[in-house]
Amino acid sequence: MTVSELIAIFFGMALVNNMVLSKFLGLCPFFGVSKKLSSAFSMGIAVVLVMLVASAVTWPLFHYLLVPYGFEFMRTVIFILVIASLVQIIEMTIKRTNMTLYNALGIYLPLITTNCAVLGITFINIDQQYGFLQALVAALGAGAGFTLVLLIMSGIRERLDLADIPRVFRGAPIAFIVAGLLGLAFLAFGGMVG
Amino acid sequence: MSTTILAVVLLSAVGLIAGIAIFVVNRILPKEDESLQMANEIKELLPGADCGACGHPGCFAYAQAVAKNAHVLEQSPCRILAKDEEGSAKLGEFLGVDLSNAGPGAKALVHCTGDSPAIATYNGMQTCAAAVQLAGGEKECPYACVGYGDCAEVCPEDAISIDPDRRVAVVDWEKCIGCGMCVAVCPRGLIELVPADTPQYLGCNYLQRKDIAGRKKCSVGCIHCRMCVKASEGGEVIWNDEKDLPQFSTTPAPDAIEKCPRNIILKTAAFPEGLVAAVATDTDTNEASE
Repeated sequence: MTVSELIAIFFGMALVNNMVLSKFLGLCPFFGVSKKLSSAFSMGIAVVLVMLVASAVTWPLFHYLLVPYGFEFMRTVIFILVIASLVQIIEMTIKRTNMTLYNALGIYLPLITTNCAVLGITFINIDQQYGFLQALVAALGAGAGFTLVLLIMSGIRERLDLADIPRVFRGAPIAFIVAGLLGLAFLAFGGMVG
Repeated sequence: MSTTILAVVLLSAVGLIAGIAIFVVNRILPKEDESLQMANEIKELLPGADCGACGHPGCFAYAQAVAKNAHVLEQSPCRILAKDEEGSAKLGEFLGVDLSNAGPGAKALVHCTGDSPAIATYNGMQTCAAAVQLAGGEKECPYACVGYGDCAEVCPEDAISIDPDRRVAVVDWEKCIGCGMCVAVCPRGLIELVPADTPQYLGCNYLQRKDIAGRKKCSVGCIHCRMCVKASEGGEVIWNDEKDLPQFSTTPAPDAIEKCPRNIILKTAAFPEGLVAAVATDTDTNEASE
Protein backbone atom coordinates (compact mmCIF):
# COMPACT_ATOMS: atom_id res chain seq x y z
CA MET A 1 0.00 0.00 0.00
CA THR A 2 1.75 3.10 -1.20
CA VAL A 3 0.91 6.77 -1.01
CA SER A 4 0.11 6.84 -4.72
CA GLU A 5 -2.37 4.03 -4.19
CA LEU A 6 -4.10 6.07 -1.48
CA ILE A 7 -4.20 9.09 -3.78
CA ALA A 8 -5.72 6.92 -6.49
CA ILE A 9 -8.40 5.71 -4.06
CA PHE A 10 -9.11 9.29 -2.99
CA PHE A 11 -9.62 10.64 -6.51
CA GLY A 12 -11.32 7.47 -7.63
CA MET A 13 -13.96 7.90 -4.92
CA ALA A 14 -14.23 11.67 -5.34
CA LEU A 15 -14.48 11.90 -9.11
CA VAL A 16 -14.77 8.59 -10.96
CA ASN A 17 -17.08 6.77 -8.58
CA ASN A 18 -18.70 9.95 -7.37
CA MET A 19 -21.36 9.14 -4.74
CA VAL A 20 -24.05 11.35 -6.27
CA LEU A 21 -23.40 11.36 -9.98
CA SER A 22 -22.26 7.81 -10.70
CA LYS A 23 -23.54 5.78 -7.75
CA PHE A 24 -26.75 7.82 -7.30
CA LEU A 25 -26.47 7.81 -3.54
CA GLY A 26 -27.34 10.78 -1.35
CA LEU A 27 -29.67 12.35 -3.89
CA CYS A 28 -31.94 13.76 -1.19
CA PRO A 29 -29.45 16.29 0.19
CA PHE A 30 -28.11 16.78 -3.36
CA PHE A 31 -31.42 18.41 -4.32
CA GLY A 32 -32.51 19.57 -0.89
CA VAL A 33 -29.48 21.51 0.31
CA SER A 34 -28.10 22.71 -3.02
CA LYS A 35 -30.06 25.95 -3.20
CA LYS A 36 -27.56 28.07 -1.32
CA LEU A 37 -23.78 27.87 -1.58
CA SER A 38 -23.22 28.47 2.14
CA SER A 39 -25.54 25.75 3.43
CA ALA A 40 -24.32 23.37 0.70
CA PHE A 41 -20.80 23.79 2.02
CA SER A 42 -21.89 23.18 5.62
CA MET A 43 -23.83 20.10 4.54
CA GLY A 44 -20.82 18.82 2.59
CA ILE A 45 -18.55 19.25 5.59
CA ALA A 46 -21.08 17.47 7.82
CA VAL A 47 -21.24 14.55 5.38
CA VAL A 48 -17.44 14.33 5.16
CA LEU A 49 -17.28 14.24 8.96
CA VAL A 50 -20.02 11.64 9.31
CA MET A 51 -18.53 9.46 6.54
CA LEU A 52 -15.10 9.55 8.16
CA VAL A 53 -16.40 8.71 11.64
CA ALA A 54 -18.78 6.08 10.29
CA SER A 55 -15.99 4.37 8.34
CA ALA A 56 -13.64 4.56 11.29
CA VAL A 57 -16.20 2.84 13.53
CA THR A 58 -17.80 0.33 11.16
CA TRP A 59 -14.57 -1.05 9.66
CA PRO A 60 -13.18 -2.43 12.96
CA LEU A 61 -16.70 -3.42 13.99
CA PHE A 62 -17.04 -5.56 10.85
CA HIS A 63 -13.56 -7.05 10.85
CA TYR A 64 -13.14 -7.68 14.58
CA LEU A 65 -16.69 -8.39 15.71
CA LEU A 66 -18.81 -9.63 12.81
CA VAL A 67 -16.26 -11.61 10.76
CA PRO A 68 -14.70 -13.70 13.59
CA TYR A 69 -18.11 -14.89 14.79
CA GLY A 70 -19.58 -15.34 11.31
CA PHE A 71 -22.15 -12.58 11.53
CA GLU A 72 -21.32 -10.88 8.21
CA PHE A 73 -24.99 -11.15 7.24
CA MET A 74 -25.88 -8.72 9.99
CA ARG A 75 -23.72 -5.90 8.70
CA THR A 76 -26.61 -3.83 7.29
CA VAL A 77 -28.64 -3.69 10.48
CA ILE A 78 -25.59 -3.21 12.72
CA PHE A 79 -24.18 -0.46 10.50
CA ILE A 80 -27.50 1.38 10.40
CA LEU A 81 -27.74 1.22 14.17
CA VAL A 82 -24.20 2.46 14.69
CA ILE A 83 -24.39 5.22 12.08
CA ALA A 84 -27.73 6.44 13.43
CA SER A 85 -26.26 6.74 16.93
CA LEU A 86 -23.18 8.48 15.54
CA VAL A 87 -25.22 11.06 13.66
CA GLN A 88 -27.31 11.60 16.77
CA ILE A 89 -24.16 12.36 18.75
CA ILE A 90 -22.75 14.62 16.02
CA GLU A 91 -26.04 16.50 15.73
CA MET A 92 -26.15 16.98 19.48
CA THR A 93 -22.59 18.28 19.47
CA ILE A 94 -23.22 20.78 16.67
CA LYS A 95 -26.45 21.96 18.28
CA ARG A 96 -24.79 22.64 21.59
CA THR A 97 -21.61 24.21 20.26
CA ASN A 98 -22.35 25.94 16.96
CA MET A 99 -25.90 27.22 16.63
CA THR A 100 -25.21 29.01 13.34
CA LEU A 101 -24.10 25.82 11.65
CA TYR A 102 -27.05 23.97 13.17
CA ASN A 103 -29.47 26.55 11.78
CA ALA A 104 -27.81 26.35 8.36
CA LEU A 105 -28.20 22.56 8.18
CA GLY A 106 -31.72 22.53 9.59
CA ILE A 107 -33.64 19.39 8.81
CA TYR A 108 -30.89 17.81 6.74
CA LEU A 109 -28.58 16.94 9.58
CA PRO A 110 -30.99 14.36 11.04
CA LEU A 111 -31.49 13.20 7.46
CA ILE A 112 -27.84 12.11 7.30
CA THR A 113 -28.91 9.39 9.74
CA THR A 114 -30.60 7.54 6.94
CA ASN A 115 -28.39 8.96 4.20
CA CYS A 116 -27.55 6.15 1.81
CA ALA A 117 -24.28 7.83 0.84
CA VAL A 118 -22.98 7.40 4.39
CA LEU A 119 -24.19 3.81 4.61
CA GLY A 120 -22.95 3.26 1.06
CA ILE A 121 -19.35 4.24 1.72
CA THR A 122 -19.14 1.82 4.68
CA PHE A 123 -20.34 -1.03 2.45
CA ILE A 124 -17.97 -0.03 -0.34
CA ASN A 125 -15.11 -0.12 2.16
CA ILE A 126 -16.03 -3.72 3.01
CA ASP A 127 -16.80 -4.87 -0.54
CA GLN A 128 -13.57 -3.43 -1.96
CA GLN A 129 -11.69 -5.17 0.88
CA TYR A 130 -9.94 -1.96 1.85
CA GLY A 131 -7.63 -1.84 4.85
CA PHE A 132 -8.41 0.57 7.69
CA LEU A 133 -6.31 3.44 6.30
CA GLN A 134 -7.61 2.84 2.78
CA ALA A 135 -11.18 2.87 4.13
CA LEU A 136 -10.59 6.23 5.79
CA VAL A 137 -9.08 7.69 2.62
CA ALA A 138 -11.99 6.32 0.58
CA ALA A 139 -14.47 7.91 2.99
CA LEU A 140 -12.60 11.20 2.79
CA GLY A 141 -12.62 11.00 -1.00
CA ALA A 142 -16.30 10.13 -1.18
CA GLY A 143 -17.15 12.99 1.16
CA ALA A 144 -14.98 15.41 -0.80
CA GLY A 145 -16.64 14.30 -4.04
CA PHE A 146 -20.07 14.73 -2.47
CA THR A 147 -19.15 18.23 -1.24
CA LEU A 148 -17.70 19.13 -4.63
CA VAL A 149 -20.86 18.12 -6.48
CA LEU A 150 -23.02 19.88 -3.90
CA LEU A 151 -20.99 23.07 -4.30
CA ILE A 152 -21.08 22.95 -8.10
CA MET A 153 -24.80 22.29 -8.04
CA SER A 154 -25.57 25.09 -5.59
CA GLY A 155 -23.38 27.51 -7.55
CA ILE A 156 -25.32 26.69 -10.70
CA ARG A 157 -28.67 26.90 -8.93
CA GLU A 158 -27.84 30.28 -7.44
CA ARG A 159 -27.22 31.53 -10.98
CA LEU A 160 -30.35 29.77 -12.25
CA ASP A 161 -32.39 31.83 -9.81
CA LEU A 162 -31.37 34.91 -11.75
CA ALA A 163 -31.63 33.38 -15.20
CA ASP A 164 -34.59 33.75 -17.50
CA ILE A 165 -35.76 30.15 -17.58
CA PRO A 166 -38.92 29.15 -19.47
CA ARG A 167 -41.76 29.00 -17.01
CA VAL A 168 -42.38 25.25 -17.19
CA PHE A 169 -38.74 24.49 -16.36
CA ARG A 170 -38.47 26.72 -13.31
CA GLY A 171 -37.63 25.13 -9.97
CA ALA A 172 -37.21 21.36 -9.79
CA PRO A 173 -37.29 20.53 -13.54
CA ILE A 174 -34.29 22.66 -14.44
CA ALA A 175 -32.48 21.31 -11.35
CA PHE A 176 -32.96 17.75 -12.65
CA ILE A 177 -31.75 18.74 -16.10
CA VAL A 178 -28.68 20.38 -14.61
CA ALA A 179 -28.05 17.28 -12.50
CA GLY A 180 -28.18 15.14 -15.64
CA LEU A 181 -25.68 17.37 -17.44
CA LEU A 182 -23.42 17.32 -14.39
CA GLY A 183 -23.59 13.53 -14.41
CA LEU A 184 -22.55 13.48 -18.06
CA ALA A 185 -19.65 15.79 -17.29
CA PHE A 186 -18.47 13.56 -14.45
CA LEU A 187 -18.66 10.55 -16.77
CA ALA A 188 -15.58 12.00 -18.45
CA PHE A 189 -13.53 11.28 -15.31
CA GLY A 190 -14.07 7.58 -16.05
CA GLY A 191 -10.77 7.17 -17.85
CA MET A 192 -8.71 9.12 -15.37
CA VAL A 193 -8.07 6.66 -12.55
CA GLY A 194 -7.89 2.97 -13.33
CA MET B 1 -31.17 -21.64 16.35
CA SER B 2 -28.27 -20.51 18.46
CA THR B 3 -27.21 -18.20 15.59
CA THR B 4 -30.58 -16.46 15.79
CA ILE B 5 -30.30 -15.95 19.53
CA LEU B 6 -26.71 -14.77 19.20
CA ALA B 7 -27.76 -12.35 16.44
CA VAL B 8 -30.45 -10.90 18.69
CA VAL B 9 -28.02 -10.65 21.59
CA LEU B 10 -25.39 -9.00 19.38
CA LEU B 11 -27.83 -6.43 17.99
CA SER B 12 -29.12 -5.66 21.48
CA ALA B 13 -25.60 -5.28 22.79
CA VAL B 14 -24.58 -2.90 19.99
CA GLY B 15 -27.78 -0.92 20.52
CA LEU B 16 -27.19 -0.74 24.25
CA ILE B 17 -23.62 0.44 23.78
CA ALA B 18 -24.75 3.08 21.28
CA GLY B 19 -27.46 4.23 23.68
CA ILE B 20 -25.00 4.51 26.54
CA ALA B 21 -22.64 6.48 24.27
CA ILE B 22 -25.40 8.98 23.45
CA PHE B 23 -26.26 9.29 27.13
CA VAL B 24 -22.64 9.93 28.10
CA VAL B 25 -22.12 12.51 25.33
CA ASN B 26 -25.34 14.23 26.35
CA ARG B 27 -24.01 14.54 29.90
CA ILE B 28 -20.53 15.72 28.89
CA LEU B 29 -21.68 18.41 26.44
CA PRO B 30 -22.56 21.86 27.76
CA LYS B 31 -26.28 22.55 28.12
CA GLU B 32 -28.11 24.32 25.33
CA ASP B 33 -27.04 27.88 24.77
CA GLU B 34 -28.67 30.19 27.33
CA SER B 35 -29.74 32.77 24.77
CA LEU B 36 -31.40 29.96 22.83
CA GLN B 37 -33.35 28.83 25.86
CA MET B 38 -34.32 32.43 26.46
CA ALA B 39 -35.34 32.80 22.82
CA ASN B 40 -37.59 29.78 23.24
CA GLU B 41 -39.23 31.37 26.26
CA ILE B 42 -39.60 34.73 24.46
CA LYS B 43 -41.15 32.95 21.51
CA GLU B 44 -43.87 31.63 23.80
CA LEU B 45 -44.79 35.23 24.63
CA LEU B 46 -44.84 36.39 20.99
CA PRO B 47 -47.99 36.16 18.88
CA GLY B 48 -46.52 33.46 16.65
CA ALA B 49 -48.08 34.86 13.49
CA ASP B 50 -44.71 34.93 11.67
CA CYS B 51 -45.94 38.02 9.83
CA GLY B 52 -42.51 39.62 9.44
CA ALA B 53 -43.71 43.13 10.35
CA CYS B 54 -40.81 43.51 12.77
CA GLY B 55 -38.33 42.97 9.96
CA HIS B 56 -37.22 39.52 11.14
CA PRO B 57 -37.98 36.29 9.29
CA GLY B 58 -40.58 34.92 11.66
CA CYS B 59 -41.25 35.04 15.38
CA PHE B 60 -38.43 32.71 16.40
CA ALA B 61 -35.80 34.77 14.57
CA TYR B 62 -37.24 37.84 16.29
CA ALA B 63 -37.08 36.07 19.65
CA GLN B 64 -33.44 35.15 19.01
CA ALA B 65 -32.60 38.76 18.15
CA VAL B 66 -34.43 39.98 21.25
CA ALA B 67 -32.71 37.40 23.44
CA LYS B 68 -29.34 38.74 22.32
CA ASN B 69 -30.29 42.40 22.63
CA ALA B 70 -33.46 43.64 24.32
CA HIS B 71 -33.21 46.98 22.50
CA VAL B 72 -34.41 45.24 19.36
CA LEU B 73 -37.85 45.45 20.95
CA GLU B 74 -37.76 49.23 20.75
CA GLN B 75 -36.01 49.51 17.40
CA SER B 76 -38.33 47.12 15.59
CA PRO B 77 -41.37 46.55 17.80
CA CYS B 78 -43.70 43.62 17.30
CA ARG B 79 -46.71 45.16 15.62
CA ILE B 80 -49.17 42.63 16.93
CA LEU B 81 -48.00 42.90 20.52
CA ALA B 82 -48.16 46.70 20.29
CA LYS B 83 -51.95 46.40 20.26
CA ASP B 84 -52.11 43.69 22.88
CA GLU B 85 -51.43 45.45 26.18
CA GLU B 86 -51.60 42.33 28.29
CA GLY B 87 -49.17 40.44 26.05
CA SER B 88 -46.84 43.44 25.89
CA ALA B 89 -46.84 43.74 29.64
CA LYS B 90 -45.99 40.04 30.00
CA LEU B 91 -43.08 40.26 27.59
CA GLY B 92 -41.92 43.54 29.13
CA GLU B 93 -42.01 41.96 32.57
CA PHE B 94 -40.05 38.94 31.33
CA LEU B 95 -37.32 41.12 29.85
CA GLY B 96 -37.50 43.95 32.37
CA VAL B 97 -38.23 46.52 29.67
CA ASP B 98 -41.05 49.07 29.52
CA LEU B 99 -42.88 48.53 26.27
CA SER B 100 -45.66 51.07 26.76
CA ASN B 101 -44.22 53.66 24.38
CA ALA B 102 -43.02 51.64 21.43
CA GLY B 103 -43.99 54.31 18.89
CA PRO B 104 -46.98 54.63 16.59
CA GLY B 105 -46.03 51.89 14.15
CA ALA B 106 -47.35 51.79 10.61
CA LYS B 107 -50.75 51.26 9.04
CA ALA B 108 -51.84 50.40 5.52
CA LEU B 109 -53.92 52.72 3.35
CA VAL B 110 -55.74 52.01 0.09
CA HIS B 111 -55.51 54.92 -2.31
CA CYS B 112 -58.82 54.25 -4.01
CA THR B 113 -62.47 54.66 -3.14
CA GLY B 114 -63.50 52.16 -5.75
CA ASP B 115 -66.26 53.87 -7.68
CA SER B 116 -64.82 53.36 -11.15
CA PRO B 117 -67.49 51.77 -13.39
CA ALA B 118 -66.91 48.34 -14.88
CA ILE B 119 -66.49 48.43 -18.65
CA ALA B 120 -66.32 44.68 -19.13
CA THR B 121 -67.29 41.42 -17.47
CA TYR B 122 -64.44 39.38 -16.10
CA ASN B 123 -64.98 35.68 -15.53
CA GLY B 124 -61.41 34.51 -15.03
CA MET B 125 -59.50 33.58 -11.91
CA GLN B 126 -60.86 35.58 -9.03
CA THR B 127 -57.60 37.25 -8.04
CA CYS B 128 -56.41 40.79 -8.63
CA ALA B 129 -53.13 39.58 -10.06
CA ALA B 130 -54.94 37.56 -12.73
CA ALA B 131 -57.57 40.22 -13.43
CA VAL B 132 -55.08 42.99 -14.22
CA GLN B 133 -53.26 40.69 -16.64
CA LEU B 134 -56.27 40.67 -18.93
CA ALA B 135 -56.46 44.07 -20.67
CA GLY B 136 -55.84 45.83 -17.39
CA GLY B 137 -58.89 44.63 -15.52
CA GLU B 138 -62.58 45.27 -15.94
CA LYS B 139 -62.78 48.69 -14.34
CA GLU B 140 -62.48 51.79 -16.44
CA CYS B 141 -59.87 53.52 -14.32
CA PRO B 142 -56.46 51.92 -14.87
CA TYR B 143 -55.48 52.85 -11.32
CA ALA B 144 -58.59 51.58 -9.52
CA CYS B 145 -58.66 48.88 -6.88
CA VAL B 146 -59.45 45.67 -8.75
CA GLY B 147 -61.41 44.38 -5.79
CA TYR B 148 -60.68 40.64 -5.85
CA GLY B 149 -59.01 40.86 -2.48
CA ASP B 150 -55.45 39.60 -3.00
CA CYS B 151 -54.55 41.91 -0.13
CA ALA B 152 -57.31 40.57 2.12
CA GLU B 153 -56.04 37.08 1.33
CA VAL B 154 -52.48 37.70 2.56
CA CYS B 155 -53.42 39.86 5.53
CA PRO B 156 -52.38 37.89 8.65
CA GLU B 157 -54.84 39.82 10.84
CA ASP B 158 -57.88 39.81 8.53
CA ALA B 159 -57.78 43.59 8.69
CA ILE B 160 -58.70 44.09 5.03
CA SER B 161 -62.19 43.54 3.72
CA ILE B 162 -63.67 44.17 0.30
CA ASP B 163 -66.57 46.58 0.20
CA PRO B 164 -69.10 44.65 -1.97
CA ASP B 165 -70.85 47.74 -3.34
CA ARG B 166 -67.85 49.75 -4.40
CA ARG B 167 -65.53 46.76 -4.98
CA VAL B 168 -62.68 48.29 -3.05
CA ALA B 169 -60.40 47.08 -0.30
CA VAL B 170 -60.96 48.73 3.06
CA VAL B 171 -58.40 48.54 5.84
CA ASP B 172 -59.53 48.28 9.43
CA TRP B 173 -56.92 50.26 11.33
CA GLU B 174 -57.94 48.64 14.59
CA LYS B 175 -56.71 45.32 13.26
CA CYS B 176 -53.94 46.47 10.89
CA ILE B 177 -50.46 45.71 12.21
CA GLY B 178 -48.55 47.48 9.44
CA CYS B 179 -46.72 44.40 8.22
CA GLY B 180 -46.82 45.49 4.57
CA MET B 181 -47.84 42.12 3.13
CA CYS B 182 -50.71 43.79 1.25
CA VAL B 183 -48.38 46.46 -0.15
CA ALA B 184 -46.26 43.79 -1.76
CA VAL B 185 -49.17 41.89 -3.24
CA CYS B 186 -51.30 44.70 -4.74
CA PRO B 187 -50.78 44.59 -8.52
CA ARG B 188 -51.84 48.23 -8.83
CA GLY B 189 -49.55 49.48 -6.07
CA LEU B 190 -52.47 51.22 -4.39
CA ILE B 191 -51.63 50.31 -0.84
CA GLU B 192 -49.17 52.39 1.11
CA LEU B 193 -47.76 52.02 4.61
CA VAL B 194 -48.03 55.27 6.53
CA PRO B 195 -47.24 56.23 10.15
CA ALA B 196 -50.16 55.31 12.38
CA ASP B 197 -50.71 58.97 13.33
CA THR B 198 -51.46 60.02 9.75
CA PRO B 199 -54.76 61.90 9.98
CA GLN B 200 -55.86 61.96 6.33
CA TYR B 201 -55.03 60.55 2.92
CA LEU B 202 -56.06 60.85 -0.70
CA GLY B 203 -58.50 58.17 -1.79
CA CYS B 204 -57.18 58.14 -5.32
CA ASN B 205 -54.01 57.18 -7.10
CA TYR B 206 -54.88 58.71 -10.44
CA LEU B 207 -51.59 59.81 -11.87
CA GLN B 208 -52.25 60.97 -15.42
CA ARG B 209 -51.52 64.67 -15.86
CA LYS B 210 -53.19 65.33 -19.19
CA ASP B 211 -56.76 66.49 -19.78
CA ILE B 212 -57.80 65.87 -16.18
CA ALA B 213 -59.02 62.47 -17.27
CA GLY B 214 -59.89 61.50 -13.71
CA ARG B 215 -63.19 63.30 -14.14
CA LYS B 216 -64.18 61.00 -16.94
CA LYS B 217 -62.85 57.76 -15.56
CA CYS B 218 -64.27 57.91 -12.08
CA SER B 219 -66.74 60.00 -10.17
CA VAL B 220 -64.36 60.24 -7.24
CA GLY B 221 -61.02 60.54 -9.05
CA CYS B 222 -58.56 63.29 -8.29
CA ILE B 223 -58.87 66.04 -10.89
CA HIS B 224 -55.61 67.68 -9.88
CA CYS B 225 -57.32 70.98 -9.09
CA ARG B 226 -55.03 71.76 -6.15
CA MET B 227 -57.88 73.17 -4.12
CA CYS B 228 -56.58 71.26 -1.11
CA VAL B 229 -53.20 72.98 -1.33
CA LYS B 230 -54.82 76.39 -1.63
CA ALA B 231 -57.20 75.68 1.25
CA SER B 232 -54.50 74.70 3.71
CA GLU B 233 -52.73 77.84 4.74
CA GLY B 234 -50.44 76.21 7.24
CA GLY B 235 -48.78 74.07 4.56
CA GLU B 236 -50.39 70.82 5.76
CA VAL B 237 -50.84 69.85 2.13
CA ILE B 238 -48.16 70.20 -0.51
CA TRP B 239 -48.35 69.30 -4.18
CA ASN B 240 -46.24 66.38 -5.30
CA ASP B 241 -45.24 67.42 -8.80
CA GLU B 242 -43.77 64.08 -9.63
CA LYS B 243 -46.98 62.17 -8.95
CA ASP B 244 -49.21 65.19 -9.67
CA LEU B 245 -51.13 64.42 -6.52
CA PRO B 246 -51.40 66.17 -3.15
CA GLN B 247 -49.21 65.04 -0.33
CA PHE B 248 -50.25 65.34 3.30
CA SER B 249 -48.22 65.82 6.42
CA THR B 250 -49.15 64.36 9.78
CA THR B 251 -50.94 67.61 10.71
CA PRO B 252 -54.72 67.36 10.33
CA ALA B 253 -55.99 69.48 7.44
CA PRO B 254 -59.78 69.84 7.94
CA ASP B 255 -60.00 72.75 5.50
CA ALA B 256 -58.46 70.75 2.68
CA ILE B 257 -60.84 67.87 3.39
CA GLU B 258 -63.77 70.27 3.22
CA LYS B 259 -62.62 72.03 0.07
CA CYS B 260 -61.95 68.96 -2.05
CA PRO B 261 -64.59 69.08 -4.80
CA ARG B 262 -64.64 65.31 -5.08
CA ASN B 263 -64.58 64.57 -1.37
CA ILE B 264 -61.74 62.11 -1.72
CA ILE B 265 -59.47 63.34 1.02
CA LEU B 266 -60.37 60.80 3.65
CA LYS B 267 -59.89 60.88 7.38
CA THR B 268 -58.13 58.02 9.03
CA ALA B 269 -58.81 56.61 12.47
CA ALA B 270 -56.04 58.89 13.71
CA PHE B 271 -57.92 62.05 12.76
CA PRO B 272 -58.63 63.98 15.98
CA GLU B 273 -62.29 63.90 16.90
CA GLY B 274 -64.22 67.12 16.89
CA LEU B 275 -61.72 68.96 14.73
CA VAL B 276 -63.76 70.51 11.92
CA ALA B 277 -63.31 73.11 9.25
CA ALA B 278 -65.25 76.38 9.16
CA VAL B 279 -68.19 74.47 7.68
CA ALA B 280 -69.14 71.19 9.35
CA THR B 281 -68.36 68.05 7.37
CA ASP B 282 -70.00 64.65 7.47
CA THR B 283 -67.23 62.68 5.75
CA ASP B 284 -66.95 59.27 7.33
CA THR B 285 -63.67 57.71 8.31
CA ASN B 286 -63.48 55.14 5.57
CA GLU B 287 -66.05 56.42 3.13
CA ALA B 288 -66.18 59.21 0.66
CA SER B 289 -69.53 60.87 1.04
CA GLU B 290 -70.97 62.21 -2.12
